[in-house]
Formats: sequence, structure tokens, C-alpha cells
Amino acid sequence: MEKKKLQYALIGGFILLIVVLFPLVSNNFIIRFGTDILMFAIMASAWNIIGGYTGYASFGNVVFFGIGGYITAILMEKAGMHFAVAYLAAGFGAALFAVLIGLPVLRLHGHYFAIATLGVAEAMKALVQNLEITEGNSGIYLPMLDLSIKGQYYFFFYMMLGTLILTLLLTYLVLNAKLGYSLIAIREDEDAANSVGINTTLSKTIAFALSGFFTGLAGSIYAYQQAFLKPGPAFSVQTTVKMIVMAVFGGMGKLFGPLIGAFSIEIISETLSNYFLVAHTLFFGTVVILAIVFTPKGLIDMITQRKFGISYFLENIREHRI
Amino acid sequence: MAILEVKNLTKAFGGLLAVNDVSFNVEEGEILGLIGPNGSGKTTTFNCINQFFPVTSGDIRFKGKSIVGLKTHQICHLGIGRTFQVIKPLARMTVLENITASAFCRVNNINDAQEEALRILEFCGLADHNTKLARSLPLAGRKRLEIARALATKPKLLLLDETAAGLNPGELDEAIDLIKKIRDTGISILVVEHIMKVIMTISDRIHAINFGQTIAEGTPQEVANNPAVIKAYLGEERA
Ligand SMILES: Nc1ncnc2c1ncn2[C@@H]1O[C@H](COP(=O)(O)OP(=O)(O)OP(=O)(O)O)[C@@H](O)[C@H]1O
Ligand SMILES: [Mg+2]
Repeated sequence: MEKKKLQYALIGGFILLIVVLFPLVSNNFIIRFGTDILMFAIMASAWNIIGGYTGYASFGNVVFFGIGGYITAILMEKAGMHFAVAYLAAGFGAALFAVLIGLPVLRLHGHYFAIATLGVAEAMKALVQNLEITEGNSGIYLPMLDLSIKGQYYFFFYMMLGTLILTLLLTYLVLNAKLGYSLIAIREDEDAANSVGINTTLSKTIAFALSGFFTGLAGSIYAYQQAFLKPGPAFSVQTTVKMIVMAVFGGMGKLFGPLIGAFSIEIISETLSNYFLVAHTLFFGTVVILAIVFTPKGLIDMITQRKFGISYFLENIREHRI
Repeated sequence: MAILEVKNLTKAFGGLLAVNDVSFNVEEGEILGLIGPNGSGKTTTFNCINQFFPVTSGDIRFKGKSIVGLKTHQICHLGIGRTFQVIKPLARMTVLENITASAFCRVNNINDAQEEALRILEFCGLADHNTKLARSLPLAGRKRLEIARALATKPKLLLLDETAAGLNPGELDEAIDLIKKIRDTGISILVVEHIMKVIMTISDRIHAINFGQTIAEGTPQEVANNPAVIKAYLGEERA
């Protein structure tokens, strides 16, 4: 057991080292690609807290991304604040919003919760499109980061990396504490959880707030990186779908599942779009469907169980009959 | 002294009075059996006690204080644990994780929770299954898990809803032993059971209901010979 842990730590440390050094040997295009992967890894991991561990499939998590972005834009552009302040405010603002909408919305289950969260994100988009302070549909500019081009690429890459590490570290701590056990118990059976003294409302709300917090941080970095924000892209349903697909593809309810999902989905979709200009979304959809049918527990299950092949696929299909 | 007092409890589902003006006490340290034919309101009574459902009228007092209107998780913290007739294992968690999750009811630190969980699993004879997923246990194991999960919250009163149903004769004897062993630790128990052998052996007293209303109360012997009880059960058999 101890030996295995050491082995994992060594592999983990090695991968981290590669990721940290990666920008130094890459061109700007590739660094930017890596930054995108990290951003989606943060969001998929954050989605995993509420969707994967707690079992509440949010279809509106992009709202936290958008809110984080707009808080950053407004604080920096209108209030002249430093990015460090705006970044933290984005996280806490998104978390606060999660608490406020969570109180009513987390009473709903299953499809109803999914639809309600979807509705919240769409409503927020409409609101931002019509507010003066967000400059509506024409979009809002942010101050440019005062660094060389290369420096900017480095800055955003390492901000995303640091935020991802923070996300995974906090999730890890939660999983090994009362809260983590409560969340998974809620996912498995909310009535049973309640009956053993778990304050399910409180636990779910904290999970949603954590999910919102990290997603908001990602939105903040993204906004600063783009230096310009529009309601449509900031609150796009597609972003939520991507988080979910990545989390499911990599492995829901597993710490590193969404990270693996973000990495592989981005690589696959990039490769496909290089080969098939027009039909790549069709191929992409097919890959996702096949993956969910054959490996519903995600890539991470295949990696950690070291199983591969027909019998593993059949076992999965039998277990998760569709 | 009565640890639980149910006073004129009534629970209506629309026009149906599932529990209709039922009153009984569970004395400190005793096992009270609650019996009645199918659909007579036993599970509904449990669901009212741990506030799964809001009660329609009447009062429920635990250690002298009314608990009506509290939240389900607060009821557990006060010291009332329960099992479910339709068992609710946390299927994709291991046996140890299942019990650890409820041991957190009394402690905040993971090491303490795990230690308590291991103690409970040992007590319930599940220690060999710690690392198995809850869903992979056989029925008897999952029934035991249900009891262990309630015990891990350190209840003063335990509500057992048909934890012996579906067990084979050997497993039944083990279940009886476990329930007695729990009572011997000082926990008062309210137990619902259809299997007469079980309810007659373990109960100090029995409260019988039919169509949501009390029909008899007394020692197992008295209740077994009560005409209203005999009619309720025979009537059901004929139907
Ligand atoms: N949530 C509910 N909504 C509507 N009616 C209900 C509900 N729960 C129970 N009932 C009804 O209340 C009555 C009592 O049911 P209850 O489950 O309490 O019976 P029981 O004594 O536990 O029966 P069994 O021995 O079969 O478990 C039944 O007629 C049942 O259909
Ligand atoms: Mg019942």
C-alpha cells in the first residue's frame, strides 16, 4: 500500500514537472492550447464536485464562469482594481451566487435540477446583455496585461495551472473530511444521508459554492486573458456541455477523472478538426457516445484498473444497462 | 421513564388516514414491538417520528421534549436512529465508508469517525467485509449494514423497520441476537416486524395497530391472544 502511494506520488510529481516546464520549450500557439486545457480541467473538476460527487448534474455551471469574468472586468475596468483583487472577488462572488441560487434550486432533483440550473445561466446571460454596467451586448474591455507577448502567455498558463492545483488540492481535502463523505452519501441516497444526521441542504450548498468558486476563478483568468468579454460566449451553454462531457469522459466522482477528460477531449477534438474540417463535430460526437457506452466509468477507471478489451467493455455495458 | 412518547399521532395522505390517533410510549431500555397487517401504518409512524413527513396532528416527545417540526438530521443528532424497510445502502461506497459517513454524526475528525465505524462493524459482525462495496453484500449483509449505519450515529432510541424480513432461519437467529445485544448496550428499541417468531421473542411489550388505529397493547402473550389482533391477522389472510 505504502509502496503504491510512493509510486503514484512519483508519477504525479513527474507529470507535474513536465507541465510546469512545458511552456519553456513550446511556441505561443501550443502554450495557449495548454492554457485552454488547464482552464477546462479546472471547470470540469469544479463541475465534478457538484455533479460527480454530490450527484447533482448542473447544466448551468457556465454561469459561474461568466460571473467570474464579468466581476473581473467590472472591478478592473470600472473600479481600477488590481487583477489579484478582481481574481479573488470573482471566486467569492461566484460562490456567493451559488449559495443564493442553490438554496431554491438544490431542492430539486434530477432533471428538474438540470433544467433549473440551465435556466439560471440563460437568465443571467439575458440580464448581463441588458445591464449598463456590463455594457450589454456590445461587450466590455479589460485593461491589457502589461507584459511582453511571451510573458503574457506564461502568465495565463501558470495562473490556470496554479488554480487547477488549488482546485484539486481542496477537493482532495474535502474528500478526506466529513464534507466529502456527506456529499457522496447524498449522491448515493439522500434520504439515508438525512437519516444519519447529515445536514443535506447545507452540504449541497457548500458543494455548489465550491464548484462556483473554482469556476469563477477560471472565468476571471479567461476574461483577463481575452481582455474583452461578451455575454454570448461568456455564458455559452456549450461551455457547460463541455465541462460535463469532459468530467464524464474522464471519470465522474474521481479526483483526476475530469483532468484526464479535459486533456483527452481537447486533444481528440483538436486532432479531429485538423483532419476533418467540416465533419469533425460529427466524429467528435461519435467518439463521446462510444466512450460513454463502453466506458461509463471514464478513462480513469480503465487506467487505474489496468483493464482494457472486450470483456471490460461488456462488463461495463452489463452493469450500466441503457 | 418513557424515552419516546407518541401522543394522538395522526398522519393523513389526502383523504387516507395512514395513522389515526395512535398513542404509545417506549420506556427507557425496553424493546417495544409495533405490529399490524400490511398497510396498517407502521412505516408511516416511523416516518413521522424521524420527521420524514410532517405530522398532521398529535405530538411526539423524545426525552420529554417535543420533536415535531424539527428536521430529519436534527432528529438523528438528538439520538434517534432508524433503518429503512426498503433498505438504502450507499451502494457505491464501501462498507467502511458507509458507516464512517454516519459516524461523522458525533465526531468531526476522519480518524475518530473511522475508528468508531470499525468498532460498530465489529459489533455487528461485518468487520470482514470492510473493503467491499455495499451493493456487493448479500441481503443479510445489507440488512446488517442498515442497522450498523443507524448505530454509528450513537442513538439512544433505535427504530428498526423489518430488518429480519427475507432472512433464512439461521440468519434470523443471528438477527435476534444482534437486536438483543444492542438493547443490552442500553439503547431503547422500537421494532416493526412481521415474523412472529422474532417479534414475540425480542419484544418486552407489543403495540398492535390496524388501519392506522391502535387495536391492542400488552405483553407478547396478551397481544397474541387478543381477539382484535387475531381477527386483524386472520381477516387479512382470508382476503
Ligand atoms: N408517501 C405516501 N403517500 C401516500 N400514501 C402513503 C405514503 N406512504 C404510505 N402511504 C399509505 O399509508 C398506508 C400505510 O402505509 P405504511 O407503509 O405505513 O404501512 P406498513 O404498516 O408499514 O405496511 P407494511 O407492513 O406493508 O410495511 C398505506 O395505505 C400506504 O399506501
Ligand atoms: Mg412498512
